Order: sequence, then C-alpha cells, then structure tokens
Amino acid sequence: MTTNNHVDPRGPRFGAAITSVLSFIAFYLSLTNQSLAYAIVIALGVLFTWSLVSPSTHPYGWSFAKFIRPNLAAPKELEDPRPLKFAQQVGLAFALLGIIGGIFSAPLVTVSAAFIFIAAFLNAFFGLCLGCQLYLLIRRVGIIR
Amino acid sequence: MSPTLSYVDSTIVLSIALLIVATMTGIGYRFFQGRGHSVSGAQCIELEKLNLLKNGEEVTKFGKEATVVLFSTEYCGQCPAVRRSLAKLEYRKGGLLFIEADITHRIDLAAHFNISQTPTVFVLNPAGEIRFRIGGTPKPKTIETELEKLGVK
Repeated sequence: MTTNNHVDPRGPRFGAAITSVLSFIAFYLSLTNQSLAYAIVIALGVLFTWSLVSPSTHPYGWSFAKFIRPNLAAPKELEDPRPLKFAQQVGLAFALLGIIGGIFSAPLVTVSAAFIFIAAFLNAFFGLCLGCQLYLLIRRVGIIR
Repeated sequence: MSPTLSYVDSTIVLSIALLIVATMTGIGYRFFQGRGHSVSGAQCIELEKLNLLKNGEEVTKFGKEATVVLFSTEYCGQCPAVRRSLAKLEYRKGGLLFIEADITHRIDLAAHFNISQTPTVFVLNPAGEIRFRIGGTPKPKTIETELEKLGVK
C-alpha cells in the first residue's frame, strides 16, 4: 500500500453532496413522478458502479479536481481509499435495491432513494460514513466476509 | 382543499421529514460519538490472545501506568487520524503504552469485546483491565482525563 493511492477526503465528500441532492430529488419524485425517479436511481447506480470500476475517470472526481480543489488549501491529511470503496459498494447495493425492486414494487424506489440520501447526506455534511460504521456489524452477523 | 393539492402536500411533508431525520441523526452522531464511558467489572485484555506487534516485536507487557488500545479495520476512515493522535500522546506521557489491533481478520475479537464500530478505544489500567471505552473518534481531552485518573502525567 503506497501513499500514492491516498485521496483528498474532501473529494468524496463533495461527491456525496451531489449524490445527496440527486437522491433527494429522486425521493421527492418517487412520490409524484415515478418513472423520472426510477431514472435517477439508475443514474445513481451507474455513478456508484463507475466509482468502483474506475474512480480516476469519475465525473465527481474530475469536477472536484477541476473546479473545487484549486480553490482549497492543501489537505490536512489524505485518506485510505478502501473505506470509501466499501461505502460506494453499500451505495450500489441500495441503488440495486431500487433498480431491481422497483420493477416489482414502486415503494422500493422510494426506500432506496431515502437510504442513499441519508447515507450521502450524513457523509457530506457530518463526515459520518455510514457504510464504514456498519462494516463491523455487517461482518459480525456474517452477511459479508 | 382539492385532493391533488393535499397529495402534493404529503410529498413535501415526507421530503421535509426525511431531511429532518437525516439532520437529527447527524447531530446525534456528532453529539454522542467519541464520548465514551467507564467500564465497571474487570474484563481483562489478554495480550497472548491479541497477538499484537509493535515496531515488529510482540507486545507482552502492559504500560507501566496505563495502556491505550485502538481497534481499527482496513476500512476505517478515521482510524489513521486517531492512531496519529494516540501515538503523539504515548510520546508525551510517561508510562503509557499505545497498541493498535487491526480486527479486519479477527472478527472474533469484535464479538468478544462487543465492538460494533471502529475506531474503538480502550483505556486499560496497569493490570490490563478495561477501565474506559470509547466508540468512534474520541473527543479531545477525553482520553487524557481518563489517563490522569490512572496516574499518567
């Protein structure tokens, strides 16, 4: 593990802020215009998958590097990308719940958008990574190894 | 009020409720995490079972005055910062030993000590009994206050 892989923690939080806005819109729309909400949840699923497959080309990271980071001071500390990756996997799991579950039952899109919103909102504005917090509990009950 | 309007109202109410739930969760988390609490009883840490390395050598003795144990995982985002601050504390205080246990591959330890989040920090007395535990990133001075009770200067 080299320090070169480490990332500026403000980047993912910037991404989480965008995700929280998108998922909030999806939550709102899922109560009024379901097909549009479904499209946003699919887009969120694509974004989560993208960040897992190729984080360096992700539009969040790109726009952070281009527009936000030049205006910020150097980061106080860099972060290990592994917890972030795990958090993205949790996000993807919730998006898949909406995408697959939405085919059978519309309220699952609402549930999926609500979970993604809460997780992304807490990450962006309170620095709480829900996926990282739940990691041990999920391991202990044996869902993942 | 027309039925359509009340329908729109309920979506707005639900959306605001979601915002409030998320915000309250965040505030609650900020308030409660890292405060820690005293542990009564005498649950002991057994160093032979932890099998910890420090600077390449196995840890066989507790700190003379106190020991601070940090439980971390590979996926723990805040652990590196806590590790740095505890290492500094160890350097500043006499008789204090700081050890870290990565429990990513020792989930049995998490169950044994009932650890549900990382970072989790234990403060041990010289006999290795757990006196204080903190879940989450410790609030400033919390650990120092506990260490003073154990006579660490």
